[in-house]
Amino acid sequence: MSFFGLGGGQNAQPTGAINPAQIEMAVAELDMITDVFNRLVNSCHAKCIDAKYHEPDLNKGEGVCIDRCTAKFFEVNKKVGERMQAMGGGSGGATFQ
Amino acid sequence: MSPAEQAHMSKTASPPRQIIEKKQMQDFMKLYSGLVERCFMSCAQDFTSKALTGKEGTCVQNCTDKFLKHSERVGARFAEHNAEQMQGR
Repeated sequence: MSFFGLGGGQNAQPTGAINPAQIEMAVAELDMITDVFNRLVNSCHAKCIDAKYHEPDLNKGEGVCIDRCTAKFFEVNKKVGERMQAMGGGSGGATFQ
Repeated sequence: MSPAEQAHMSKTASPPRQIIEKKQMQDFMKLYSGLVERCFMSCAQDFTSKALTGKEGTCVQNCTDKFLKHSERVGARFAEHNAEQMQGR
């Protein structure tokens, strides 16, 4: 990973002379991706994992369920994004990808 | 940080390290407290004693292990999906 501040060399302060708007964009993007990931984990855990916890490993059914669940989640994500864009609001339709 | 996030990081302009480390810490604490709540709700059933029973103890262990494996697997699929999206553009 290359950070802005650390590659230059001339600038002693890591945070100096960096475009703050760009950082804000990157942070917002990171937040959004983290949020999508967390929602994905929670949704598929609720749908696929048996809450009795008899064994510590994912069984075969749960594994397959997780794979399908994630794929489906992305599809739903896309579909909802498309619908929202079609509705035309523009502001709300932040599809992640 | 999840593999998905790492896969994504290299493509975008990276914020300075302090910000990333702070976020990682926040993510970790969120994961921790979320896991405690999840496993407590699923496993703590018997309130006739203040200690976890043997059964509850193994349940918590299984719950934790399983969640981390679950999260790992989801992360792998997430990273694959991200990689596909990147190629498509």
